[in-house]
Amino acid sequence: MKKIIYTPLVAFLFVFSSCDKDYLEVQPTDFVSEQAVFTTTTNAWAALNGIHRNMLIRQDDQSEFGEGGVKVNMDMLGEDLAFASASNSWHRNTYRWNDHRNTSSNVAQYVYEFYYRMIGNANMIINNIDAADGPEADKQAIKGQALVYRAWAHYQLVQVYGKRYDAGANNEQLGVPIMLSNTTDGQPRATVEEVYAQVNADLDEAMMLLEGYERTYKSHFDVNVAKGLKARVALTMHNWEAAAQYASEVIEESGATLMSRAQYTEGFNNVDNPEWIWGSRQIGDQQTYFASFFAYMSANFNSTNIRVNPKLINSALYDRIPATDIRSEMWDPTGESVPAPPNGTKAPYASKKFLSQSSALSIGDVPHMRLAEMYLIKAEAYARMEQDDAAAEALYTLASNRDPEYVKSANTGQALVDEILFQRRIELWGEGFRFLDLKRTNSGLDRTGANHNPAYAVTMTVEPGVNDWEFLIPQGEVNSNPQIVQNPL
Amino acid sequence: MIRLLLLSFALMFILTHEVAAQRKSVSGTVTDRATGEGLPGVSVIVKGTTVGTATGADGAYTVSVPADGQTLEFRFIGYQAMERTIGNASTIDVALGVDQRQLEEVVVVAYGTADKSSFTGSASQIGSEEFEQRPVTNITNAIAGKAAGVQTTSGSGQPGEGPTIRIRGVGSINGNNDPLYVVDGVPYSGSIANLNVDDIENMSILKDAASASMYGARAANGVVIITTKKGKKGRNQLNVKLSQGVSERAIPEYERLNAFEYYPLMWEAYRNSLAYRASNPLSLDQANQRASEGIKGLLGYNPFNVPDNQIVLPDGTINSDAQLLYPDDLDWEAPITRTGSRADYNISYSGGSEKSDYYVSLGYLNDKGFAIRTDYERVTGRVNVNTQPLNWFKGGLNIAGTVTNSNQVATTGSTTFVNPFFLSRTMGPIYPVYAHDPLTGEYILDENGQRIYDLGSMSDLGLPTRANSPGRHIIAETNLNDYGFKRNVLSARTYGEVYFLKDFKFTTNLSVDITNNNNKTYQNTLVGDGAPAGRASRTSTNTTSYNFNQLLNYSKTFGLHTVDALLGHENYDWTYDYFTGSRQGIISEGNSELINFTTTNNIESRQDLYRTEGYFSRVNYSFDDKYSLSASYRRDGTSRFYSDVRWGDFWSLGAAWRLDQESFINLPDWVNMLKVRGSYGEVGNDDVGDYYAWQALYELGYNNASEPGYLQSTLGNRELVWESNNSFDVGIDFDLFDRARGSVEFFNRQSENLLFEVPLPISSGVLTRFENVGAMYNRGVEFQVSADVIRGTDFNWNVDLNWTTYKNQITRLPQDEIIDGTKKLMAGQSIYDFWLRDWYGVDPATGAALYRADTYNESNSMIIGSDTVTTNINNARYQYSGSAIPDFAGGITNTFSYKNFSLSALLTYQVGGKVYDAAYASLMSAGSYGTALHVDALGRWQNPGDVTDVPRMDNSQTTNFNASNSDRWLVDASYLNFRSVNLSYSLPASIASKLQMQHALIYITGENLALISARKGLNVTQAFSGVTSNYYSAARVLTLGLNVTL
Repeated sequence: MKKIIYTPLVAFLFVFSSCDKDYLEVQPTDFVSEQAVFTTTTNAWAALNGIHRNMLIRQDDQSEFGEGGVKVNMDMLGEDLAFASASNSWHRNTYRWNDHRNTSSNVAQYVYEFYYRMIGNANMIINNIDAADGPEADKQAIKGQALVYRAWAHYQLVQVYGKRYDAGANNEQLGVPIMLSNTTDGQPRATVEEVYAQVNADLDEAMMLLEGYERTYKSHFDVNVAKGLKARVALTMHNWEAAAQYASEVIEESGATLMSRAQYTEGFNNVDNPEWIWGSRQIGDQQTYFASFFAYMSANFNSTNIRVNPKLINSALYDRIPATDIRSEMWDPTGESVPAPPNGTKAPYASKKFLSQSSALSIGDVPHMRLAEMYLIKAEAYARMEQDDAAAEALYTLASNRDPEYVKSANTGQALVDEILFQRRIELWGEGFRFLDLKRTNSGLDRTGANHNPAYAVTMTVEPGVNDWEFLIPQGEVNSNPQIVQNPL
Repeated sequence: MIRLLLLSFALMFILTHEVAAQRKSVSGTVTDRATGEGLPGVSVIVKGTTVGTATGADGAYTVSVPADGQTLEFRFIGYQAMERTIGNASTIDVALGVDQRQLEEVVVVAYGTADKSSFTGSASQIGSEEFEQRPVTNITNAIAGKAAGVQTTSGSGQPGEGPTIRIRGVGSINGNNDPLYVVDGVPYSGSIANLNVDDIENMSILKDAASASMYGARAANGVVIITTKKGKKGRNQLNVKLSQGVSERAIPEYERLNAFEYYPLMWEAYRNSLAYRASNPLSLDQANQRASEGIKGLLGYNPFNVPDNQIVLPDGTINSDAQLLYPDDLDWEAPITRTGSRADYNISYSGGSEKSDYYVSLGYLNDKGFAIRTDYERVTGRVNVNTQPLNWFKGGLNIAGTVTNSNQVATTGSTTFVNPFFLSRTMGPIYPVYAHDPLTGEYILDENGQRIYDLGSMSDLGLPTRANSPGRHIIAETNLNDYGFKRNVLSARTYGEVYFLKDFKFTTNLSVDITNNNNKTYQNTLVGDGAPAGRASRTSTNTTSYNFNQLLNYSKTFGLHTVDALLGHENYDWTYDYFTGSRQGIISEGNSELINFTTTNNIESRQDLYRTEGYFSRVNYSFDDKYSLSASYRRDGTSRFYSDVRWGDFWSLGAAWRLDQESFINLPDWVNMLKVRGSYGEVGNDDVGDYYAWQALYELGYNNASEPGYLQSTLGNRELVWESNNSFDVGIDFDLFDRARGSVEFFNRQSENLLFEVPLPISSGVLTRFENVGAMYNRGVEFQVSADVIRGTDFNWNVDLNWTTYKNQITRLPQDEIIDGTKKLMAGQSIYDFWLRDWYGVDPATGAALYRADTYNESNSMIIGSDTVTTNINNARYQYSGSAIPDFAGGITNTFSYKNFSLSALLTYQVGGKVYDAAYASLMSAGSYGTALHVDALGRWQNPGDVTDVPRMDNSQTTNFNASNSDRWLVDASYLNFRSVNLSYSLPASIASKLQMQHALIYITGENLALISARKGLNVTQAFSGVTSNYYSAARVLTLGLNVTL
């Protein structure tokens, strides 16, 4: 009798306790666990590749396409790139010098967020790779590359958010927080001097680790990229000797060669170009639509931005390019020959330098370091050291490649420096250098006397050294990091 | 899962060995007086003792009567109680009559129903009579204004969409705030729009934690229980309902400038940018000349018959000779809207026999929205069968299928080029829809003689470049693109119930909800994102959820004591499969299937899983209908948290006291019922919006060309635990003068351990991390009354009114403050308190916008009286500027009936609170040439000395002059909405019966007839956060309907 009564209750309780123990254990399919990432070097390679890919990927809004988006902003803030119209709003407020001075603008946040995300990922590798299983050589290659990223990202940040490095001073001015670990505690801004010291230390360690590493893709870092960055950093620090030395080493050892005239007109979209030392490769099923360097900077992609606001070269600058120079073909003073997308504006002085894969595909590889830049660094460094002959020689190698009629410069002193900087402007146009060059040389912005329409540009001149040369720290950082100090308004 | 299922069924067979513990005594059968069928579960008590029993499934009972037992009492919820003298009888059969009054007072609660008179919690009931004549596609639309303590947004006008619902404030900051929807006893994982409104019998909104806590895990934000119809015994019937209606835009467009007003203001914006610029400003004369010459170039289009440089004269006025060349082709709003239509046809038949009941329905709905290319076509079917094949076993199946086909417009992004409400709103009034000859204004026709869309960048046709969105054309894109979905839904609920040992019932419920959704997009080759190649995507999502529970019920009456106990176990298993593919390069026009494209852009798939498991129990005790106590306990585990901390304990206590039943309290005669009740409960919330919140993860999708890659995504948090909602509720339910019934309640809802997406320093490389930090409360008072003001033989007037006020306050945060858009979260403030730049006004000298300054800064500040003001927004002081939460809100329904006519009107209202009118702000900016302006821009500053609140029109100064996040854009959020009006005529029974009908009704209904608010065009209740965007506003719908029962 009792047995019958309790049977159902027992059965009931049995049902109760019968869910599998792991019933509540679920794993995502589009993520991998952080613990798995640093168990082996194979997995750690994937973590490094993720950083490489992030150079191309859309961060937040569609103008934030990894490093490419930063490059566009750096040229928008200069005087060598002009707007053909103000009817498309992308980058308009950067061009007008508003966005980088607005603490709640996307631009102020994006540049900051992008580089610190790169640093955070690099730190995960640097601080965890030693414990991974795998060949020592792989660990060195992975760690070395992560160090290059950490150095480069800090270098970009300090140039943008800090006051410029002044070689004649002690550079106690505020730079950016130096992040060497994956902490969520907000760090104070280090001085500009300290940031550069860290950048150089990381690059030095990376060069040791990468010595002998043979890379498979140009999106990776080998010792030559690290040296190229050493040269760049030295140039910014006005350390001419080191700049010349590292640039020379890259020229001699990297294996890169200057491209032919034919290659020059191919659209600056192929990492296989012999002159490219570092670049990001984009493939077909990884397209980012309108969030792409080529959706803004190319001549031919069918985006509203390109149709109505093709990117123009400063007309005064263009007019100084000899007709025999292949670079004169990168822009059309009439606009007629520009391969604009359907119904696109063919504006005078529009660029043809960058070409996307087609008017329908914004795909293209993005150059981050070319051999030409090394010649320009070498030439400028020698000229600044008043070794005019060595400078003219370095410049000649590059310029005569571009212009067969080019005659080795007889300029000396400042005139030679000016000639080198002119070559730098037309060679590196649109590749993200201009704002940083103006800042490191303590030059003012002057858009007058050319094809900048004041109604579009609004800001036509900016004095050197004023507060406007520093991006404002984004409000999100100010809100969440009590240690941060905002730049002067 | 399968194992559980088998066990449950096995269990039922074990239970067939029902214990035949016979006691020689009185037995009999209790039946329903109306149908003659046996009534199970009736309490049979020997009066004055604790001896008693309950009837079995067939209504039979046997009770052992003590020697001194005189009388048997029969009690059953919904029926009139009855007493019988025992005497010498060994068999007493009784037939109970339905107590109409009580029947209405059954409240649908978790895992069953409760008698309203002893219910200790707080629930609002909405019966089918309140929405069956309203043209609502999504049942959530029927909640607005109907229940105290329930706040709704206005809801999108996109067919099929419903409003968002908040019950008793906002419980979570970053977690989900939506209530749990329970359909036929089981949490529903599909879209509520899948339900045919005509299938719904009633809705019960559980507001207090004690009622909701039985759903534990996911009930922190309250529960909306939807119960579908079932057949009624002895009432076999066929019902046909037809309704046909039209729809249009309910909230008008903002008032904007016409071409004649617009051109001079844009001229001024240009002129001022030249005359007031910081470096080398032009003199006013030079600037005037330059502006007259150049303004056309900046705007692109000259829609007038005067030369380009003479549209606006150098004195800033429009050329008096100017006439529009194509005045009929400058409106972009009309072409994207239309008169929509709505057809809704339903047929159902239902009934029941002694042991079984059935309900079968078929519905067809075709709702064409007032925006072009938006529609919602739905076919629904449902079969609900319940049967009791054996005395001890009852089972049933309620299965519904829904097939939906819908075209939509993309309004998810407020400012995307494919949002018709954005582009038509902001298009300057000088741009034509179709291409015109710039000189003559004649339409340019294609080779077929058809008009050509003016895409705004048609240099090939010799047309200028439109300054606003050149190369985009919302009308062309909406017409040529595809954006829609097909959705197939199957929803089934089945249960088995076994009665044993007289007082026990074992129930097992198994339900499955399957939603297969196919989204398709196509972007055309002519204009927009897909041009020139054409682009298409297909996204397939399959959601499958199982809910399986086992419930053991014990119900016993001992004299005046009644005890109900429930023990249960439940698990929920949710699987989401996502697949998407995108290709471009269309091969043959008119076919948007992916095979018809040349290049693959993207292919991706993933699967998400979510599971919970819970054990729960509840005990209800009542004594003599005077006192009720209720207690519950539930323990839930979730897959969203780490194994060591994933189980949470939730509980509740409730009590009610019927004052009117007490002999020692003398209430006036007009108090028919008076009850005091209170409850306290703790409920959990695990919905952080992330299924794997505790895990530190790297995200896939970062392959570097062909190399495998991933990137750091989240830091994870193994200590993440349940957010807890601890609610206290006390209320008085009353019934007075036999006319007015209602309740007054106070609630205090405390949220603890808030699941918070804590912002990290950006420099840490990861933006946020989920943590349990913070606490918040929602405290409020709600009042609901339904009064029969006039109750006559022919004329009746009933008023149903509800009123709610609540206060939301954050009491603890992870950091001192969190700024999020227009809000700043801080302890002591509410989640919807605006934190905005303090707008001061316009400098009469320069027309510059002034804000109160943070600090005095020589370069941008000045002192006016005792105020330090600034022209630089980065130096503007932020302040708390009011809340989006209204002072009070609610709804009023007036129902008048005269003979066979009935008129019902629902008004919803809100008083107090603020709205941040972002859509208006963008119409006040002179920052983009070619963007439409609000008529208020006419009041702009023009000359030194002008005193106004609208700054100088200056294209170069919008960052400072038209800065967002300023309290300049706040406006009063009070409104009155004529939400629904219904007039119906019911055919007299005498006529209906001659037509072989049981009942026939003809009606006309209007929804969203008028909205009174602070600004024309303002959509006040678009979002709880009080920020407007460019949005598919609600529809005004007029329908004519016929409802016939045979």
